[in-house]
Amino acid sequence: MGNVRSLLHWRSLRWKIALLVAVACGAIALTVGLLVHRSTYERSVNDGAAKAYSVLDTALGSTDPDDASGLVHDPAQMPPELVREARAHGQAHVFDESNQYRPEMWASRRLPDGQLVAVSVDMTPDQLSRAALDRHMWKYSLLVLAVVVSLSALAAELPNRRLRQVARTARRIETGDLDARTRMRGRTGDEIAEISGTVDSMADSLRDRVLSEQRFTADVAHELRTPLMGLVTSAELLPESEATDLVRDRVRVLRTLVEDLLEISRLDAGVEHAELRPVDLAEAVRESLARTGLEARLTVDNAPVVAETDPRRLDRILANLVINAHRHGSAPVEVTIEGTTIVVRDHGPGFPDSLLTEGPQRFRTGTAERGRGHGLGLTVATGQAHVIGASLGFSNAAEGGAVATLRLPSTDATHTRGDAADMRRNA
Amino acid sequence: MSHAASAVGAGASAPAPASVTILLVEDDEVIRRSVAMALERYGYHVIAAGDGLTGLELFREGRHDLLLLDVMLPGLDGIGLCRRIRETGTDPILMMSARGDALDVVSGLEAGADDYVVKPVDTAVLVARIRSLLRRTTFTPAAAATGGRADQAGSPGRLDQSGQSGQSGQSGQSGQSGQSGQAHQHARLVFGELAIDTGGLEVSLSGVPVALAPTELRLLLEFAANPGIVLDRQTLLRNVWDYGWDGDTRVVDLCVQRLRKKIGAERIETVRGFGYKLRR
Repeated sequence: MGNVRSLLHWRSLRWKIALLVAVACGAIALTVGLLVHRSTYERSVNDGAAKAYSVLDTALGSTDPDDASGLVHDPAQMPPELVREARAHGQAHVFDESNQYRPEMWASRRLPDGQLVAVSVDMTPDQLSRAALDRHMWKYSLLVLAVVVSLSALAAELPNRRLRQVARTARRIETGDLDARTRMRGRTGDEIAEISGTVDSMADSLRDRVLSEQRFTADVAHELRTPLMGLVTSAELLPESEATDLVRDRVRVLRTLVEDLLEISRLDAGVEHAELRPVDLAEAVRESLARTGLEARLTVDNAPVVAETDPRRLDRILANLVINAHRHGSAPVEVTIEGTTIVVRDHGPGFPDSLLTEGPQRFRTGTAERGRGHGLGLTVATGQAHVIGASLGFSNAAEGGAVATLRLPSTDATHTRGDAADMRRNA
Repeated sequence: MSHAASAVGAGASAPAPASVTILLVEDDEVIRRSVAMALERYGYHVIAAGDGLTGLELFREGRHDLLLLDVMLPGLDGIGLCRRIRETGTDPILMMSARGDALDVVSGLEAGADDYVVKPVDTAVLVARIRSLLRRTTFTPAAAATGGRADQAGSPGRLDQSGQSGQSGQSGQSGQSGQSGQAHQHARLVFGELAIDTGGLEVSLSGVPVALAPTELRLLLEFAANPGIVLDRQTLLRNVWDYGWDGDTRVVDLCVQRLRKKIGAERIETVRGFGYKLRR
């Protein structure tokens, strides 16, 4: 189906090339046709004249009255041009096409007595054969044109295919397949080989950069987490005391900070991929809110919706939004599910203007009244939303309070709960 | 969760987890000492090594019930060590990765680790993972006393009674096989050339015994209890690994891969987008 559609796509290079070939072939066919037509006409006229003279001479030299019967002696019955020419030059021939259904070739001689004698030869068969020739030329020109155009469209398929391969590869690279290559470098030295070579080398350098970033992130993760692990475990071993609580609290903050930073750098490197599966949205959100251990009022505005999403990432987003609402806004925090849209709203001073205009910025919590925190939570939430194909928007409610709106992609995979159950059963 | 709860009950009611010995291989001294101390507080006995080769020597002494391996180790690294151990044994292996990226996690699981945790990990989480893993092994306090530990290396894994009842309990959840779960107690299930003795917990392929690591065996039993039925990754994570909502499905995928290598790739079928099923 796709093949047929791509074949019929009129803007395709294939049809442009075919059109060009058709125009060129048509021009050649027309020129050759005209030349052939003209030379056939001239030859036909010459042959006709020769024939007419020979008929005339035979009639004049013969004593057979049958032969002489075709002779015309009355100049009034001859074409005037013939009369004029014959009188002037002693002999003349004229091709008379005045009757288009019966063209005649006239030949005339001036007899020694000054009388004109002429004969006419019927040229209809000649005209018919010329017309047939013209028809043949048209027919075969069109036939050959059709064949050539189809062949050129097919031949254009070869560079077309290579170009499409380049486009496909570029798209795959765009979607994160950094090992995609056109592998056409140096096969032929044309422009397509050049562009595919460029795409390949672009992909090479892109992959190198991503890989080195990934390596760096992984190394940083190792270097940070190793001492942190010792710290976390050791802090757990400390005897209970007020000082221990202080240490544990700071360890917890440090741990969150490190994990957020590592998460952001993984998101930046584009190495995160969503693991989609059908998720009962209301259920997932409820559990997610419970896990934060923070107060949040959940309202579900519609029938239970099953969305195709990554529950772990959805949890990260919601946790960050709710924690952010509590940390920077004030209670009550309201979470509303409407279709596949989840809105987290608090009743604090609202998001600062810079966040509304520029989006979340790392380590920037905006104004002083937005309180403590590293400003990483919303960056993480935005990044994770991007990974699961959702959009996360920030606004302020008219009556005050920050509003974060998470719109999950509503795909075909969004069903009511019953559908998802059917799906599982049928599988 | 009833399965997990009952199994936890069986594990937690064990009065002396001190008889469980954990071989910890970790190069960072602070982590090695603090994790050892923390685990000892939970009643485990810990023997520790600071590098892969020492870890391998201690492994060969065979005093452990479970291995806790760091991925990045000087000399022989955790993945190499894991592979060496899997050449001969089916001991439960839990990997600890500080990088947590696909390379570490996937290579660790490919090498035969049963599960992994990413550092920094709370002791409570680590202990939960250890318990879940131990439930999948031959270990019960009684079995330990009667030399269950000695059986560890070499012999194919066995499930203890509590594990088995957990198994039939949860397969009862999925409907249909409630009664057959009981019947399985000493049944011999045959799927083509694959034979599973659910009583003796022995698996053979064309009559040749197959040595399965505890998680692989547990996974196979899960499939065998639901032959021909698609099991999604979440269900498997919950029933085999005791993960709640937050398990990493790569654990399932890689364990299935390992299992396929041992019992024939065509036996477990991938149902794209849903999960896996055992071909009858």
